[in-house]
Amino acid sequence: MRLLIDLAVAIVIATVLGFSSAWFAVEHGPWFGALTAGPWTAWPEAGSTDADPYSLAMLARTGEVPLGAGEGLSFTAENDSDGQPLAGRCVYQIVGQTPPARLWTLTAYDAAGRLMVNAASRTGFNSRDILRREDGSFVITVSSRVEPGNWLPIAPVERFKLVFRLYDTPLTTGGRPTDLAMPAIRKGGCT
Amino acid sequence: MKRTLLFALGGVLLGGIIHIAVVFLVPYYANNDAWAQMRKFGPDGQFHVLPVPEPGAEPLVSLDPNFVQAVCRFSLADGPVHMQAALPNEFWSVAVFDRRGRNVYSLNDRSAERTRLDLAILTPLQMAQIRQNPPASLDTAVVVELPIDVGFGLLRVFVPDGSLLAAATDALTRANCAAAL
Repeated sequence: MRLLIDLAVAIVIATVLGFSSAWFAVEHGPWFGALTAGPWTAWPEAGSTDADPYSLAMLARTGEVPLGAGEGLSFTAENDSDGQPLAGRCVYQIVGQTPPARLWTLTAYDAAGRLMVNAASRTGFNSRDILRREDGSFVITVSSRVEPGNWLPIAPVERFKLVFRLYDTPLTTGGRPTDLAMPAIRKGGCT
Repeated sequence: MKRTLLFALGGVLLGGIIHIAVVFLVPYYANNDAWAQMRKFGPDGQFHVLPVPEPGAEPLVSLDPNFVQAVCRFSLADGPVHMQAALPNEFWSVAVFDRRGRNVYSLNDRSAERTRLDLAILTPLQMAQIRQNPPASLDTAVVVELPIDVGFGLLRVFVPDGSLLAAATDALTRANCAAAL
């Protein structure tokens, strides 16, 4: 009888631990090969043939089609430059340098990774349609309310994320740069 | 008590094995991966233009709404795949993925050095056969040897603003995923 109870304990522990840890690892990855710059993170190998088993499982679950190395690199930010989560009720300014690339786009998604319905019917900016200052620098304002200048509208959601995609960039072909200049995400006021 | 602890420890070890097995098996049992989702766009062996991603109507997850995309699921079982398209003089790129959604090859307009996509995909065996007597159509094509049996190609064309959307969509509509060799 005691043997049966012990066996049951072992099986319950194995099942619960095995499945829940696997689910957590696949749901919250990727875990390896992150390239970070300030609040931005990219996983250059996550969709390649060198992808680790967790990244592969993630790809299979989400159905995402990643950018190939010859196409570009996609950076995601879920926090601002101070490490605070991006909240839909706050206003953010995206300022600073962008790494060398022929083209870049900036898109806002909700926490689940879907595009958000917004007042201006605009889902993203690209390096071509942006208004720049005379010295070439730019400011993009992310807000759920109308803003002057480069306004990236979002829905007043709890949390959102920003995806910065660099196309035809030496980052994917050359080595990892030591000082990767990505724009800062500065929090303005919140309501 | 000591024996129960020993069994619990065994349970933890077995849990680790289950963890590894589950992670490795997920890709084989996932029924909503990129390959499966692409079935809804139409038959294999030809390019299908995806609608521009809009809130609430995204054809696939995490596509860039600044681009128009076309996908083609293909099989190399019946011979090499030859993709051809005349594309706008704008940034465009093509990426080839295996059945599991891993990117096995990618190319952009500048590395192709032209506004035409002309890409032939062959298995190593087909490559060895075709080397004996290479067809003239492959003289100008980018020829890649990939160790895959089935896969899909995703062609992306950058649309700087709405006025150029029609031209980009039109070019993708005429993209050929099964051009003659």
